[in-house]
Amino acid sequence: MSEPVLRTEQLTKRFGGLTAVDNLSFRLAGGRLHAIIGPNGAGKTTFFNLISGLLTSDGGRVFFHGREITGLKPHEISRLGIKRTLQIKSVFPRLSVVDNLWITSQAGRRFPHPFRDASRDRASREKVERTLEQIGMSSLAQRQAGTLSYGDVALLEIGMALISEPRLLLLDEPTCGMSPAETERAVEKICELARAIDIVIIEHDMEVVFAIADDITVMTQGAILASGNPEEIAADERVREAYLGGEEEEDYVEEAAHA
Amino acid sequence: MISVPWSIPALINGFWVSVIAEILIWSLFAASVNLLFGYVGLLSFGQALYFGFGMYGVAIGISDFGLSFWPAFGLGVAAAMAMALITGIFAVRLTWHYFAIITLVFSLIFYFLALTNKWLTGGDDGINFTLPPTFSLGGITGSLADHTFQYFFILATVSMCFWLMHRLICSPLGKALLAIRDNDVRASLIGLNVYLLRLVAFVMAGFLAGVAGALFALFGRYASATYMFYHVSGEAVVWAIVGGAGTLFGPIVGTTIFIVVREIVSSHWEHHSLIVGVVAILVVIFAPKGVVGLWNEWLTRLAERIDRASIKSELRTNP
Repeated sequence: MSEPVLRTEQLTKRFGGLTAVDNLSFRLAGGRLHAIIGPNGAGKTTFFNLISGLLTSDGGRVFFHGREITGLKPHEISRLGIKRTLQIKSVFPRLSVVDNLWITSQAGRRFPHPFRDASRDRASREKVERTLEQIGMSSLAQRQAGTLSYGDVALLEIGMALISEPRLLLLDEPTCGMSPAETERAVEKICELARAIDIVIIEHDMEVVFAIADDITVMTQGAILASGNPEEIAADERVREAYLGGEEEEDYVEEAAHA
Repeated sequence: MISVPWSIPALINGFWVSVIAEILIWSLFAASVNLLFGYVGLLSFGQALYFGFGMYGVAIGISDFGLSFWPAFGLGVAAAMAMALITGIFAVRLTWHYFAIITLVFSLIFYFLALTNKWLTGGDDGINFTLPPTFSLGGITGSLADHTFQYFFILATVSMCFWLMHRLICSPLGKALLAIRDNDVRASLIGLNVYLLRLVAFVMAGFLAGVAGALFALFGRYASATYMFYHVSGEAVVWAIVGGAGTLFGPIVGTTIFIVVREIVSSHWEHHSLIVGVVAILVVIFAPKGVVGLWNEWLTRLAERIDRASIKSELRTNP
């Protein structure tokens, strides 16, 4: 079997007495959209924080395309091509939409030039314009990011992920707090992205997960409970018991699995 | 507007020329606070340390090493930047109040060191020195002993530093710093080396403070530990915030207001710093973006009103 895109070996993170991520060994095959689901506090976001370097692990190792990235700094990991969005929408609020995209496209380069006029760089400007069109935000280009609506901020985040040309994209609840229309738009964008980029997505909206994921991993209490394609997960008894327990949720899963 | 400062010596008396020269120097010092606070989001309460190193670099260079004008000037600026690099390595690991405290502590440590090591610094009394007789730059010779020439030299140096800062703000590095100011976690996730960039900004702020200190030493022919006290750092913070942190010219406006008030009021009333306090409080409450920020807001609002008026009149003409 070829080297997976992302592989973790016995990854562990403890917060005091709580083991948030417990001996997690995870493999991400290339070319598939992988969803991670699980109840609140299952350690999903902590897992992302360990991969992207925001937290340092207490044990275990992380590999990206066969290269060990355990213990690297966030910007070093980012420059290897692992980009992520945050659960709480996170952009540069006092910069314009254009500048948000612009700085994101530049950040991976060598040290930024201290005195050249940034607005003269035509190639980057055109790239920013193309991305604006892709996410449908050209009309909001000059707005301060802090004044955008919630859905637009989420779209901007996706635009920032796009323009940074990721090799692996980690999306943490991208549709959280969106209106149904906005969710639809975002899901469409994510599916489009998934054709070119490897994506891992944390998502609570089961409808979204079962609609877009090729593989699903279920986490509880910092460990993997089950992993498989949507049909297998929907049929898995342990998953139903541990996570999807409620009647209503069960209907959801069956419905989605048959869809 | 731009030609006004250049024609000042011909128009007003010597006292006010030297007040303006002083305003220029202190504006540059306030700009170093502004670069860190307004553009990187780091509030330093210790910029006087680098100002002091700029002063002592010049004073010790001239009086102890017998350096001529430019080498002494260079020594002052280099000393300030080196000190900023050394302290910055520790300081920029921290943010917010921790950063404010560690910069304050560094400046206090060196203030007391300067105060007690009289053999080197002269302590409270400071070092008096006589200016190197002349300096020449590409065929032009001049002496700072000539007050008009001294004023122009300070004006040119300060203008150049502000021009450099303007270039910095519009550059890729400037935008990276703004991104870090806005959201440092996000900045690291898009691939910016937050620590390194903050350190670079800190050394650049050290440069601005160092140039200001070197100019002030040449202006007063004097260097003293008094100028390394945190009181001096605090004043620059107030000037920068009242003028408008995060705007290029905010520090000039803030510094001008306070120094002019001081010069006018202090001869009539000894408690002139009360006015400083009241103005600072009013500005922080009613114009958190400072005087320049308020002015910019007015301009935008005015422009919007004109826009709306023109749209209305268009509607009236083409119903």
